[in-house]
Amino acid sequence: MKIQCELCPKMCLIEPGQSGECRVRINIDGVLRTVVYAYPCSLHIDPVEKKPLFHFLPSSKILSIATVGCNLHCKNCQNWEISQANPEDVPAEYWPPERLIEATKRYQCPSLAYTYTDPVIYYEYTYETAKLARNSGIRNVLVTAGYINKEPWKKLLEYVDAANIDLKGITDDFYRQVCSATLRPVQDALILARAGSVHVEVTNLVIPTLNDNPEQIRELVRWIKSNLGADTPLHFSGFYPRYKMRNLPPTSLKMLEMARQIAISEGMNYVYIGNVASKEGQNTYCPGCKIPLIERSGYTILQNRLRQGHCPNCGKEIYGVWK
Amino acid sequence: MTRRKFFRKMAKAGVAIIVGGIWLTKKAVPRKFIRADAVRKYPGLLKPLRNISKQSKWSG
Repeated sequence: MKIQCELCPKMCLIEPGQSGECRVRINIDGVLRTVVYAYPCSLHIDPVEKKPLFHFLPSSKILSIATVGCNLHCKNCQNWEISQANPEDVPAEYWPPERLIEATKRYQCPSLAYTYTDPVIYYEYTYETAKLARNSGIRNVLVTAGYINKEPWKKLLEYVDAANIDLKGITDDFYRQVCSATLRPVQDALILARAGSVHVEVTNLVIPTLNDNPEQIRELVRWIKSNLGADTPLHFSGFYPRYKMRNLPPTSLKMLEMARQIAISEGMNYVYIGNVASKEGQNTYCPGCKIPLIERSGYTILQNRLRQGHCPNCGKEIYGVWK
Repeated sequence: MTRRKFFRKMAKAGVAIIVGGIWLTKKAVPRKFIRADAVRKYPGLLKPLRNISKQSKWSG
């Protein structure tokens, strides 16, 4: 019997023995099954700045997990070896939620990240682990494209402390052509996350010729400002030719600086440049008195002048989770 | 055929159509799921994950 997966807006109709687009949710005897629950293919300790999260427990370590599969098929995917692979082709190890929590404590990580591919497709694993982590005093971080239906998203957000959500472009056309997805559900997911108690940062990967038009960037920034607020940290990330998009050049620093200037001119308070070395684009400045508050080099914090989440000079409160 | 027999036949046909319609609808409309149950066995190779304390090569 055919079944329908209502986890994400793809709403896959799945024939017996087949999987949805994510490759990991399968129709077995008329029941939806996940083949990746408790089977991560990647488990590492990263700096939290790598997610990127610049306003969440700076310079802390974060245990980061992923299973194989993804519900999007971005032509530029940086992690396509695991996101666009079948579970049959990628080795994994049995790590039930209890073991993950134990390891997070053992490695003295204050938080756990569900990342690299997309936690949406290993939803049940993320949900059960996040619930257990919350009860153990560990923070939960999602790094996601936010392509999920409202009901399961709301349920998951109850246990999420922070999220870096991609806003890959500002046109439906871009989402359809580059990511095989649509824009609206991502915008809804962003609004829902920001409306709750989740700390949200947004990443936009700037791809030459596809979404680097200044007017499009301005439109994207305006949408973020009016729907998520000027305090939402925004990361413009540099593209590198990967997967099915090897024909385009990497994003230049000049392009990323232009995007950052547009965002600042539109009134965004915290705008960063990622994937490309940039001095100014890595630092956090006070939106009040403009002094540098956190100076970074790569994923390293060189100096953190914040005092209990406030600017030491003018006393302005800085959006974020600082302890 | 008496009038009574005719109406009885019509009623039976009506019931058959309704029951058949329900059966067909149930067949045609797929069962819907949000949550998935876990399977016991991973379909790929099981291998210990190494270098946990090292930074990942993956983006994100």
